[in-house]
Amino acid sequence: MRRKVGSRVAQWQGRLFLAPTVVVLLLLTIFPFLFTLAMAFGKVSFEGGALKISLVGIRNWVRLIHDSRFWNALVVTLKIVGLSVFCEYVLGLLLAVLLNRRIRGRTFFRVTFLLPMMLAPIAVGYMWRMMLNDTRGPFNHILGHLGLAPVGWLSDPNVAMYSIILTDIWQWTPFMILILLAGLQGIPKDYIEAAKVDGASGWKIFLYVVFPLLTPASIAAIFLRSVEAFKIIDIIYIMTGGGPGLVTESLTLYGYSVGLRAFDLAYGATISFSLFFVVLASATLFFLLTRKARQISLE
Amino acid sequence: MRKVVCLVTVGLFLVSLFALGAARKFEGVTITVFTQPPPFIAKPVQMFAPDWERMTGGKVRLITAPWAELYPKMYSSFALGAHLYDIVIFPAAWLPDFAGAGFLAPLDEFIAQDSRIAWDDILPVYRERIVTWGGKIYAVPVDGDCHIFYYRKDALENPEYQKMFKEKYGYDLPVPPRTWKEVRDIAEFFNGWDWDNDGRPEYGVVEARRKDDQAYWTFFSRAAGYVSISGQPGGLFFDPETMKPLINSPGHVKALEDYIEIMRFGVPGMINMDSGEIRTVFIAGEAAMAIDWGDIGVMAETDPSSVVKGKVGFAILPGSTTVWDYKKGEWVEFDEPNQAPYLAFGGWVAGIDAKSPNLEAAYDFISFLASPENSYRSVTTPETGFNPYRNTHFETLSGWVGFGFGPEAAEEYLKAIQDTIAHPNVQPDLRIPGGARYFEALDAELALAAAGQKSPQEALDAVAKAWERITEELGREDQLKAYRLSLGLPVE
Repeated sequence: MRRKVGSRVAQWQGRLFLAPTVVVLLLLTIFPFLFTLAMAFGKVSFEGGALKISLVGIRNWVRLIHDSRFWNALVVTLKIVGLSVFCEYVLGLLLAVLLNRRIRGRTFFRVTFLLPMMLAPIAVGYMWRMMLNDTRGPFNHILGHLGLAPVGWLSDPNVAMYSIILTDIWQWTPFMILILLAGLQGIPKDYIEAAKVDGASGWKIFLYVVFPLLTPASIAAIFLRSVEAFKIIDIIYIMTGGGPGLVTESLTLYGYSVGLRAFDLAYGATISFSLFFVVLASATLFFLLTRKARQISLE
Repeated sequence: MRKVVCLVTVGLFLVSLFALGAARKFEGVTITVFTQPPPFIAKPVQMFAPDWERMTGGKVRLITAPWAELYPKMYSSFALGAHLYDIVIFPAAWLPDFAGAGFLAPLDEFIAQDSRIAWDDILPVYRERIVTWGGKIYAVPVDGDCHIFYYRKDALENPEYQKMFKEKYGYDLPVPPRTWKEVRDIAEFFNGWDWDNDGRPEYGVVEARRKDDQAYWTFFSRAAGYVSISGQPGGLFFDPETMKPLINSPGHVKALEDYIEIMRFGVPGMINMDSGEIRTVFIAGEAAMAIDWGDIGVMAETDPSSVVKGKVGFAILPGSTTVWDYKKGEWVEFDEPNQAPYLAFGGWVAGIDAKSPNLEAAYDFISFLASPENSYRSVTTPETGFNPYRNTHFETLSGWVGFGFGPEAAEEYLKAIQDTIAHPNVQPDLRIPGGARYFEALDAELALAAAGQKSPQEALDAVAKAWERITEELGREDQLKAYRLSLGLPVE
């Protein structure tokens, strides 16, 4: 009996200690989430000193489906995420493998390669915007010295999106390096030694031993980076504002323009929620596609 | 004798009490001023707050937020009953949203009793149109915004280049150009060669085109001359009888065609340039012409990095001899170019929360800030972001010369601004509730047209459709009433 009472008290103590955290989490995540969901199905007005949401059913969503600018922003976002994350993974893996070797200056290189990730995206955006300037940026200056025609890095509709992707790759490849390097360092050396003893070449060791064992780290890196990439707005806002035309306008930027610049809060909420569904669907698809790989790596 | 000394002492004491009470009339009062971060716009508040505090005993608390957060925070503060700010300094285009909803205190009585504000010294278009709503005054102008035209005198006035121009185009190079067609020809002529002998090629023109920035104001600067006829209100945005969007009229389409064509003769990368960038490009000597607020003029003459000091000419915006008359539904020919200077953005104004507990103190500070003497200092101090809007701002050159302007440049610069604001066909900016939504819809379509992804007609048809939807959502009758009010037309 005494033991039961003691454990009940301990349970309530635990709950009491956790309560403030739970309340804060609810206030900061669940409440805004539900509030935004309500706005996405409503019309927002300010009456009697309060913000009022009048539910209008799926009207905002019907508008979204017929909104060509939404579909454009979705395609732009998917292209940026797909190309950026792919290139960041490949480059990140290559650099992580190199940094995992015992080379002179390894620590220096590790720190240097991680630096871009530590910069504020706004600063990165401005830096690349200046470097890619049509008339005064160093990129076109170098092309000129090589006898090549200047490129409209941010002004040519056919090139601007790739400039954004390049900037994103520059900044976030270090994130991949960090996670993949940790994954590489976690691989038991015995497996690699055993493969060497069996006469496997370096490439075969990588392909059949290292890469499969790196699966958990790879999946984590790709997943985390993709979720972040879907939200891209800062470097686009600074570098192109979504232009030229709408070729670099991401879903988040579109939602920002509608919600905060035009102050159409309900439709802005709808666009934001659509991004949530896109990310959810993409994450679900990703986990379905990598299920087998995850099972193999567990075995 | 002792009695006399006592009486004098008491008298002096009473007088000093009275003097102290009169000078420190807002002792213990703190007023909150909300605007964007310094330097631009907030700097004058920082400049004059200490003096006002010393004079009145009051305190000024400056709160700022980035541009994108200004409107949501101001509107929320009013609408949700938070009343966080006594004074808000905001773009004039937002006045209908705030005044129409009853958020701002009418200032007519304060102004009527205040000789310091020298209300009649403020140019009529600002004091009678920009800060009024429904016949009442809801704000005090602190900045006079308009677009003017800039050109390189050393290029356009060069006799050799003028001769070459005439040979190519068959008419004298006009200085300054008075029509958009002339601007196009001049831009083409000066594009892509080293006409200032600095070893680098220069270009014909530089204008803001960047999406999500201020490109639509550059578009309307062009459109106004094609669609706005003196004495015929409306035409630039909506039909004032029906609230039908006029944005896709043949005149607007022609303006957009010009807006796109001239990019061929612009500084490379112009499609991605915002107002800030075009200023640095122009004062770096890269372009022969530009459209901007007063900032290029100030930077050209005072910025240490300017290579064009003393070389810049200033003029009102060009227009057109062929103008679309929306009432007749046809093009009409003018003997002289129809110029319609555009008060892009409208300028910053200072208003007071109607529920502020410190109405008197708030007004007193605004009056101090906007007084002729202090406002003159504001408009002639670097990085305040305030442009002239009073007669006295134009009459005294010493402040401008002290600012760094050459005397001749100061005179020409001020004349261009004054001619713009006082022009009989001056066009105020769109001032109706939800203005930002209309402009946001336009911005996206302008970007598509400028990038060649839509034709001008397709783009503006899409804008017209979006504007109709916005009008329906906000209430056509209410929007029509607001639009007519903004034009100074009677509302039934």
